[in-house]
Amino acid sequence: MRSLRIFATSLLTAITVTSPAAGAAEPSASDIVKRSLDTYYYAGSDMRSKVQMKLINPQGKVREREMTMLRINLGAAGDQRYYIYFHGPADVKGTSFLVWKYPAKEDDRWIFVPALRLVKRIAADDKRSSFVGSDFTYEDVSGRDVDDESHALVRKESLGGRPAYVIESKPKAADYSRRVSWIDAERWLPLKEEYFDARNEPLRTFTAEKVEQAGKYWTVTARTMKNQQSGHRTEVVFREVEYDVGLKQDIFTERYLRDAPSQWVR
Amino acid sequence: MNKNALVEFSIARPKFVLGAVLLVTLAFAAQLPRIRLDTNPKNMLPPTSDVRVWNDSVDQAFALYEDTVVVGVVHPRSVLNPGTLEKVRDITAAILKVKGVAGRDVSSFTTIDNVSAEGAGLRVAPLVSRIPRSDAELQALRKTLFENPLFVDRIISRDEKTTAIYVPLEKGANGKEVADRIREILTRYPGEEQYHVAGDPVARDTFGAEMFKLMGIFSPIAGMIMFAAIYVMFRSLALAMAMMMVAMVAIVWTMGLGIGLGFPVHIMSSMAPVFLMAIATDSIHIFNEFYFRFREKADKRRAIVETMEAVGRPVRYTALATAAGFGVLLFMEIVPVKVFGGLIVFGTIALRLFSFSLIPAVLAAVRPEKIGAAAAGEDIAVSPTARALGRLGALGAEWPKTTAAVGLALILLALFGVSRIVVNNNLVAWFKPGSEVRIADTVINRALGGTSLGYVVATAGKPDAIKQPDILRDIEGLQRHLEKLPVVGKTTSVVDYVKRINRVLHDDNPEFDAVPDAADTIAQYLFLFSMSAKPSDLDNVVDYPFQKANIWVQLKTWDAAAMRDVIRASEEYRRLNPIALELKPAGIAYFNLVWNHEVLWDMVKGFLLALVAVFLILAFAFRSFKWALVGYVPLLFTILLIYGVVGFAGKDFDMPISVLSCLSLGMAVDFSIHFISRLRQRLVETGAAAARDLAALKEALAWTAARPGKGIMRNAVLFAAAFSVMLFAPLTPYITVGAFIVSMMLLSALFVILYLPALIVLMRGWLFGTGEPK
Repeated sequence: MRSLRIFATSLLTAITVTSPAAGAAEPSASDIVKRSLDTYYYAGSDMRSKVQMKLINPQGKVREREMTMLRINLGAAGDQRYYIYFHGPADVKGTSFLVWKYPAKEDDRWIFVPALRLVKRIAADDKRSSFVGSDFTYEDVSGRDVDDESHALVRKESLGGRPAYVIESKPKAADYSRRVSWIDAERWLPLKEEYFDARNEPLRTFTAEKVEQAGKYWTVTARTMKNQQSGHRTEVVFREVEYDVGLKQDIFTERYLRDAPSQWVR
Repeated sequence: MNKNALVEFSIARPKFVLGAVLLVTLAFAAQLPRIRLDTNPKNMLPPTSDVRVWNDSVDQAFALYEDTVVVGVVHPRSVLNPGTLEKVRDITAAILKVKGVAGRDVSSFTTIDNVSAEGAGLRVAPLVSRIPRSDAELQALRKTLFENPLFVDRIISRDEKTTAIYVPLEKGANGKEVADRIREILTRYPGEEQYHVAGDPVARDTFGAEMFKLMGIFSPIAGMIMFAAIYVMFRSLALAMAMMMVAMVAIVWTMGLGIGLGFPVHIMSSMAPVFLMAIATDSIHIFNEFYFRFREKADKRRAIVETMEAVGRPVRYTALATAAGFGVLLFMEIVPVKVFGGLIVFGTIALRLFSFSLIPAVLAAVRPEKIGAAAAGEDIAVSPTARALGRLGALGAEWPKTTAAVGLALILLALFGVSRIVVNNNLVAWFKPGSEVRIADTVINRALGGTSLGYVVATAGKPDAIKQPDILRDIEGLQRHLEKLPVVGKTTSVVDYVKRINRVLHDDNPEFDAVPDAADTIAQYLFLFSMSAKPSDLDNVVDYPFQKANIWVQLKTWDAAAMRDVIRASEEYRRLNPIALELKPAGIAYFNLVWNHEVLWDMVKGFLLALVAVFLILAFAFRSFKWALVGYVPLLFTILLIYGVVGFAGKDFDMPISVLSCLSLGMAVDFSIHFISRLRQRLVETGAAAARDLAALKEALAWTAARPGKGIMRNAVLFAAAFSVMLFAPLTPYITVGAFIVSMMLLSALFVILYLPALIVLMRGWLFGTGEPK
């Protein structure tokens, strides 16, 4: 009975998995998620990109945000710093945003309001609140910890022509009850994620619309998050993605928040 | 086109007729299991109606919900204690799991966002993310709550004894079902707290559900009362059953038709059985006359034929008048009203058909000895009722001027009452004062800003205009203007957020509790706000292009008039201040206003149409406009008197009353038709020269008042008996319906028997002088 199941499983794997690694022992669900988080959120030692974000309400009305995003990784513990400068809409140009991310505790965030020439520290309890009014949460943008959720490998299947692990993750505490992810089995990027609410109804869906290689790193350069309940969605396009450009740590400080580093923010 | 052929056939082949009716009835009954219910009163206006389309577009532009249930939590001293806060947290969490609840936007202590100054920074977090335990923590929460105008009167009452959980519903969710689930959850958290579940969807859907339940109870009870009354009147079980059978068959045909055609049974059509039962009482005239005839002739077959000859004409025309009265509903705007009208017309025609087939067949099938005993009492010289009615008719005929003068005085008084009628409607007032729905609403309205929510949508000429300081100041001015209205509890707009952020960014300095002077500053504040709070918070008050602002107006009453006041005040503000904003009302309070208004005026329109239609039928039935006018008088007199009383009693002229006015015409006119038709038949039969021979006329009038008059009285009493059940209903519109119809039937029967003789005697020259048909 048991050998039969193993046989069936390996047969299934042989059919669905086209990669040369087929047949090798599968990594554990946690390993897959860990590797995916590293690839998606930590690629390179630093990163610079222009980001265009479209917030689209159910009526199809659009609000756009145009920004430059800088990221630097600090040490092996997983600390990161993000610098986000808003080019548009025109009336908020110059608003900038700084996040010091710590995997083990709440982030530190600062915002610069150009009209008041004022930097304010923002204390937020909630990584799961909306990122700049979009359908992405702060956590979606800067990543979660692998131990925030428990993971199980459901199956392996091909998605949009890519081999993928299907992982079900259950958070210890969050606004969603479970998340199903399709993780590219070769590039380790998330291809699709479905979030379910407390009633187990679809809540949000993440889709990697376009995956490109930037330098030596595979990057999701177009992504969408759709709220299945409100019908609201957010489309994000990354342009001019560069890794390992040599960002300095002091850029990620209050001084540069007030006075954008022109070398990087254009 | 010989009506008697049908009667003859039915008497000759009663079993065939009974069998045929049974088969058709089974065919209609087969449709009944496909019944679909629509308990939502909102669907009186179709989803394509202007107000619903506009409200939908507002809901979408501002990410709003059509309906919100409000759960009030009241603690005798203060809700700001760890125990109550824990309960609110757990109840909120449980509510999030209820089907039909838009979980992402449920607002309570534990889900509502709070933006506050913390040291030199900003803090964005749910108001209560951790239950405060120490006095210091509770004191801090108290401070946070009361210094933020967005919370006071919304999530906390000024005396801090009441908090609320706002539960928005997904589109199409049933408010009563959600409310029931919430009530279930609340029972799990007993203690000092009192809970109240309120809000428009609760009232509306509870009303819809209750209405169906009541119809399910009242139709059979009304049927039983009628059955008993018929038995008492005719002392024959067989006849009582025959009459009930006719009514039941008509109900099955009618409901079967409606369901078979695919119409959901809506609140209006749920009333069809009771109305059909009442309309079926018209066949009492056949039984009434049959009993008189049977006693005189003792030949059943001849009695049936003669009865049908005598009452055939009035029965045909009363059916026609009733059908016309309901038929005008087909020209109304409101679909469920049209369906109802169409069904009743069909049912009335079916009933009329039965009068000439089923009833003669049943009479033919009943053994003569069964009716013999009962019929023995039917002699106008012997029957005390008939004698009393004869005397009543004679009273009018003997003192016509006095009778008319008393009537005229009553009409003047009634007109004065009518002038005091107030047009208004209040959904919550449809429940009795002691009911759960009403209490919940009262408690929450007293403590917080109000459960009835309306919007004023301010639209500027171009995108991004809402970020202009002068536009924001205009909106703020409008808010203050609206808040002067006693019905307005609280208003909220984007201005409140801008002012709040301005203050918080300036270290909570109260001087900055104002709209800043530069558009860029406002834009950046709103941007900051959208970056920190729940996106819906901002979406609820400004649209995507920043061209429209949505001002929330919490009303302390469900009176339709309250929203009318808001609209007037908005127009007034616009007149007094030259603002570059277009103001349009929206929201559920506005929907209720339009809904009430549309149904009400549709019904008034229907009433006027019915007046014309009924008059034409009368003229056609009597082949004379003069007689039609005379026959019209008791009807108008009755209606006028009832409205006079409505005006004097200070009862609002609301939707149920308007519906009734429209429906009652076609039914109340029957008595005039019977009286005048039979009188004129009698005059022809006796060969009396009514124009010259006053004594003969008076005699004929007394006879009519006594014999067909008894039928009229029987009809009225039956009708009234059936509807009197409604006087004991727990919903006020039912009591209104009951009282209205009971008084309408009894009064119009009385006025027909008293006033028609008086008028006919007074106007005999005019009536019999010229244009008298053969």
